[in-house]
Amino acid sequence: MSGYILRRGGQSLVALMALLVLVFFLSRLTGNPTDLYMPMDASLDQREAFATKHGFNDPLYVQFGTYLVNIAKFDFGDSIFQGRPAMQAALEAFPVTLRLALITMVLALGLSVLIGSLAAYRPGGLFDRVASLLTISSASTPDFWLAIVGILIFSVTLGWLPTSGTGTFWHWLLPIGVLLVRPLGLLTQVVRMSMISALAAPYVKTARAKGAPKRRVVFVHALRNSMLSVITVAGDQAAALINGAVVVETVFGWPGIGNLMIAAIKQRDFAVLQACILVTAVAIFLMNILIDFAYSRLDPRIRG
Amino acid sequence: MGKSDSLLLKAAAFAALSVMSSSALAAGSDVTIVLDMQPDQVDACQASKSQVGKVIKQNVTETLTEIDPATGKVLPRLATEWSQVDPKTWRLKLRENVKFHDGTPFNGEALKVAFARLLNEKLDCEIRVKYFGGLTVDVSVLGEHEVEIKTNTPVPILPTLLSTVTVPAPSTPHDDYSRQPVGTGPYTFDSWQAGKNIVLKRFDEYWGDKPAVTSATYVWRQESTVRAAMVASGEADIAFNIAVQDATDPKTDFSYLNAETTRLRIDVPIVPLDDIRVRQALNYAIDRDGLKGTIFSDDVIPATQLVVPGTNGHNPDLKPYAYDPEKAKELLKQAEAEGVPVRKEIVLVGRHNFFPNSEEAVQALQAMYSAAGLNVKLQMTESSEWYDSLFKPFAENRAPNLFLDQHDNTSGDASLTIYAKYHSKGGQSVLNDKELDDLIDRANVATGEERTELFQQAFKRIHEDLVGDVALFHMVGFTRVNGRLEFKPTLATNGELQLAQVKIR
Amino acid sequence: MKLTNAFALLRRDKLAFVAAIYLVVVVVLAIIGPELFGKTATAINLRARNLPSFDLNQGWEYYLGSDSLGRSVLARIMVGARNTIGIAFGSVIASLCIGGAIGIVAGLSRGALGNIIVRSVDVIMSFPSLLLALIVLYVLGTDPVNIIVVLAITRLPVYIRTARAEVLEIRERAFVSAARVMGASGFHIAIRHIVPLVLPTLLIIAALDFAYVMLAESALSFLGMGVQPPDVTWGLMVAEGRAYINVAWWLSFWPGLAIMLTAIAANLLASWFRLAADPTLAAGRKLADAAHA
Repeated sequence: MSGYILRRGGQSLVALMALLVLVFFLSRLTGNPTDLYMPMDASLDQREAFATKHGFNDPLYVQFGTYLVNIAKFDFGDSIFQGRPAMQAALEAFPVTLRLALITMVLALGLSVLIGSLAAYRPGGLFDRVASLLTISSASTPDFWLAIVGILIFSVTLGWLPTSGTGTFWHWLLPIGVLLVRPLGLLTQVVRMSMISALAAPYVKTARAKGAPKRRVVFVHALRNSMLSVITVAGDQAAALINGAVVVETVFGWPGIGNLMIAAIKQRDFAVLQACILVTAVAIFLMNILIDFAYSRLDPRIRG
Repeated sequence: MGKSDSLLLKAAAFAALSVMSSSALAAGSDVTIVLDMQPDQVDACQASKSQVGKVIKQNVTETLTEIDPATGKVLPRLATEWSQVDPKTWRLKLRENVKFHDGTPFNGEALKVAFARLLNEKLDCEIRVKYFGGLTVDVSVLGEHEVEIKTNTPVPILPTLLSTVTVPAPSTPHDDYSRQPVGTGPYTFDSWQAGKNIVLKRFDEYWGDKPAVTSATYVWRQESTVRAAMVASGEADIAFNIAVQDATDPKTDFSYLNAETTRLRIDVPIVPLDDIRVRQALNYAIDRDGLKGTIFSDDVIPATQLVVPGTNGHNPDLKPYAYDPEKAKELLKQAEAEGVPVRKEIVLVGRHNFFPNSEEAVQALQAMYSAAGLNVKLQMTESSEWYDSLFKPFAENRAPNLFLDQHDNTSGDASLTIYAKYHSKGGQSVLNDKELDDLIDRANVATGEERTELFQQAFKRIHEDLVGDVALFHMVGFTRVNGRLEFKPTLATNGELQLAQVKIR
Repeated sequence: MKLTNAFALLRRDKLAFVAAIYLVVVVVLAIIGPELFGKTATAINLRARNLPSFDLNQGWEYYLGSDSLGRSVLARIMVGARNTIGIAFGSVIASLCIGGAIGIVAGLSRGALGNIIVRSVDVIMSFPSLLLALIVLYVLGTDPVNIIVVLAITRLPVYIRTARAEVLEIRERAFVSAARVMGASGFHIAIRHIVPLVLPTLLIIAALDFAYVMLAESALSFLGMGVQPPDVTWGLMVAEGRAYINVAWWLSFWPGLAIMLTAIAANLLASWFRLAADPTLAAGRKLADAAHA
């Protein structure tokens, strides 16, 4: 087992390096921050001086070399715009996003397994139809629209919840609610479909024939088998959330990594961008290792 | 799974029980201000950036002089008197009995340190780049509260420039940006929780009058709807940059000239825009009255030049081009008859998220040009691309373009606008006119009436003889102010928010 | 399953039938909408801004109201169908085909290739879609086709992983092992035995993704990196209309509803297709029904 983990870790490290190389070179296709940083009335000479000072006039391979050397010294560069270490900014923002993502995914998984199994219990039945319709329609609503309408209804008109920001328990409700609808809708559909398949599979019939109670058949045997695809889709959704729930973070003013990343992308603040991606990538890679582990536990025949 | 269910149940129960306990409502003499974006930094030397200035300028760190937003006159702040010894030398008297928040006194030495830091090339300070580019400033201390400032070239508008110079405490690190600025202002910088908020607290040993507001919390939300909603729900007291359509309540929503002027820069050297009749037609084809009160606020002022009224050099005699589509068509017909390819595709360069409703504005402009018979294609750009087209060097074989541009000049003097935008050597200028260059060059070294007049002539030449742009509007911003406060935004509001001027009813 | 049979089957499921009709209308609009209503959709009238919905006095084109430039919302929805459906369909099909194929290869290969693919998926998942969007926008320009590239790449991982996970499970099943023992080639096994089993799951995900992609496109517009005017999509309309939610709800509501209905229709049809195409599921349904009774 430890051999597996070691090998797996080594591979992930290589992939991480590949990602960093990719991000470094691709992001520099989009110009540099000189014009965005300097005031509009700065002269051409001043712009040149700025670009040279920050190394943007060096050939790309030189810039990359500097980057690698600094990384080896655990120096991830300074944010040009914030004038402080980029990693500091990334690490400050990441826990906020991680918390949002975790709570959302736990709620989405729990609710979708419950609703999805109940719906699959009797496909085409009333509960199935209503639940499917509701989850699909909620999952196909643009989240920024939902967020703004939510604020107007619950905060301005009804006055029940704070509009935005962080602080109390109440500040969590709207953002989590908005974040939840999409993974919930997708996962419910996936749970429902795999459960329907699983319930039709021969081994479930066997279990039934052997006299296992109905509820046990649905919730243990069938569910266990349908978890494979559920975990895949959940992993995909979780990765999207870890990469920053950008829309929700911007509308509600949450200081998460999505907010930081979009600002860095728009400002070409490469150091911050690279630091953010490094942090989220490590989280996503770890999650994928966990998912593979879960695969092999759920179905011992699978060895990634 | 069981856990999450019970959590949800609890949440539902709480929500059902709660009437209104959730958000801390703004009350008393503490105010909450919501900006449209978080400042990247709060260093005193970046105070000319509007997001930074709104937080710290004149609140935490003060400037040497101040511009009266109504008249454009230079008023004393940390400097009480100034006089010119010779073209390159000025003498300043400094305010006495002023203390920094850390207890050190404000004097000539402190100012010398502050100037050295401001002009430190190791830091990319905006104030240095924007106002002191290519200028060396030598400060010598004559007495505890008197200094002499020598520059390498004559700077006739030095007192105006001093309105940008913020003075942080001598303890501020010389080579690093400060995230905890210390100044002489009526408020101390209490805390900055990155991403979340900035808190200022009243400074009880301030030299001036004691302000009514005891503390101010700054937060930021990107969506105009959300900012407006925060004041409506009582969570915030002042919201900046509300979109026209969100400014629905005349009792709380105030418009103010925000010093920005919007124009289309015409790509004069490129066919068919090199023909003056085409450029005039571009001006006559715009229905400014139709745009006003719809996509633009009803309070915007049709512009004739890139500086706002009240700026030294603004020419009040210029008239906006009237909406006359027939005349536009006629001019184009004349040009076409002489072989000018007026149907050639012209690119209208817009920019995403430029100002509220800017996307709609460019689409409307495009429609107006199409109606006049021009072949205008809209191209939306992302800010970095937009800058690429703004600055020289321009691409050699570019398509003729109309470039949506916005400019603000709060310095009170036209020189900061006119050189960069119109002089043949200006970094953003497409013009190359000897007579105009000469006017600008002479104006820049002149003083008093002569300076004003020369700038006015220059603007006249740009507007009437060269037709270098399609001037659109002097823009307004909207702030929503909670009814419990007394605060009227001014021309300066875009770059600063003086908490000391906010009164509580 | 012959075409006439399929139609008869479709007629039997009323909901699926309605969904099919709706999708046909949308597709027809996508094909001819811009030619028929292009002029109406771009006609700006600053004196008829934000007209409310359901007012017939201004003519049919203003039945759903007008936007902030006085353009007909209805006509814009009809014209926007082409880009919307084109982008959604294009990116879903691209990621389904490419991702599915890569995933099957990854599942079948036991050597280094499978590992490399899986780790590349990690890389794609960790590459922020916004950065990708900006790069494509900056380097390739704002053509709606470029949005397809962005969305297709970001949706690849879920297809690769699903296909791979399914294959890993299927390849251990008796009949595949038997085929392998009997000397069938990997390619033959993949086409003959595995694709038919993997495809239904992928199709379900694709149907769900159809909505997902339309929303992702909308979110890109919200952040200023999506389709740019004067091109129009439903997602862009929602993004533009959100600034007016307070004063003109219809600007973002109708295009949003169009997205939602399309998503529901796609899902209903996919779910019907799955039940109709797979006889064992019909049996499972009976079993479940029996269990319920």
